[in-house]
Amino acid sequence: MKKNSFLLLGAFLLTFVAIAQPGFPEVDKSPMDMCYYPAQYPNLKTQDKKTEPLTARVIYSRPKKEGRQIFGGLVEYGKLWRLGANEATEIEFYKPVIIGNKKIVKGRFTLYAIVNEKSWTFIVNKETDVWGSFKYNASKDVARVDVPVEQLKDSVESLVMNFEKADNVIRLVVAWENVKVALPISL
Amino acid sequence: MLKWLYQFLYKILKHVSRQLSILALLVIFALGCKQNKKEAPASEKVITPDSIKNQAQEVTVNPYASVDISPMDMSYFPVDYPKIKMAHANISPPVMRVIYSRPHLQRRALFNGILKYDEPWRLGANEASEIDFYKPVSIQGKKISAGRYIIYGIPHVDKWTIILNSNIDSWGLKQDSTKDVGSFEVPVLTNNVSLEYFTMVFEKTESGADLLIAWADVLARLQIKF
Repeated sequence: MKKNSFLLLGAFLLTFVAIAQPGFPEVDKSPMDMCYYPAQYPNLKTQDKKTEPLTARVIYSRPKKEGRQIFGGLVEYGKLWRLGANEATEIEFYKPVIIGNKKIVKGRFTLYAIVNEKSWTFIVNKETDVWGSFKYNASKDVARVDVPVEQLKDSVESLVMNFEKADNVIRLVVAWENVKVALPISL
Repeated sequence: MLKWLYQFLYKILKHVSRQLSILALLVIFALGCKQNKKEAPASEKVITPDSIKNQAQEVTVNPYASVDISPMDMSYFPVDYPKIKMAHANISPPVMRVIYSRPHLQRRALFNGILKYDEPWRLGANEASEIDFYKPVSIQGKKISAGRYIIYGIPHVDKWTIILNSNIDSWGLKQDSTKDVGSFEVPVLTNNVSLEYFTMVFEKTESGADLLIAWADVLARLQIKF
């Protein structure tokens, strides 16, 4: 018991040492991440192994489930969600694409979602460099598309996004908790 | 025994002048970690002297993409621009932002442990660090056009060289000086407050803003004018 107390104390102090960033920003609880299409593009580029041109990338933050009910709980059904944490999720196209029959020019956009039990609505909006979804303005939408929800057998702890290729479209796959959805993007 | 423990703990906390609020945070933090052992990234784990090896080897289980051990982060100028934008509808665009990954010391020495003097470093981890200028700026008298660049550095004992390069969307650092856009020698401070995580952040100055590049007790400053 005494030994355990010491270990606990040591652990506390070391944790403090590890997280202290006096006067500078702490590390985010929901860390930021980035995904490209083609997948792993920066890696491939650096190794001179790229076979397809750069098409898209997403910058998002990755909240964790941490035992909470996410969909229909933390993320309420029918409400706008920043599709991540902290800054709203950013999607960038390096060439023109088509989403939900809408032509989208190359450039940076903000990606939101309205989550429901059976389907999600993805929203591409041209107001960039924003935090959360608090000042969402529908008049700045460039595309909206409804996609069905797929149930996963295993729960995903951290929100994750990834591009994959399917026939003539690429799909931005979003998974968290027991839910997986995919936003189709035509080239 | 317990009393001694508390006294000791209090003394240490007092020494770092944050006292009991920190303890409360730590308890919450520690409990948080405990509940999420399965998926918590190494950055939020309790670090004990013998756990470093395990940390580096541990792979977060996620069928699509595991959480990086060096999490990505983003800093804007004006500082916290996306938040400020929420309060001011007609705000002008930001001036710049940097996107980088944040490795942590994990009890290693910065120099001759993680970095070597006189050898180029990507100023981060994973993808090359990226800096976006939303309008033209000037660094040490050199005009830099609006756009996206990668930023890397060469640390020396008494100064750092900071380099902007046009090889964007790349991984790590494959130096190609033909794509260098500018190379700048900047002063370095070696008795800065010690930081566990590599940090880049902007700080307002009279003529623009400095990019602060800080890790361990080292702080390099790149002056940017606009």
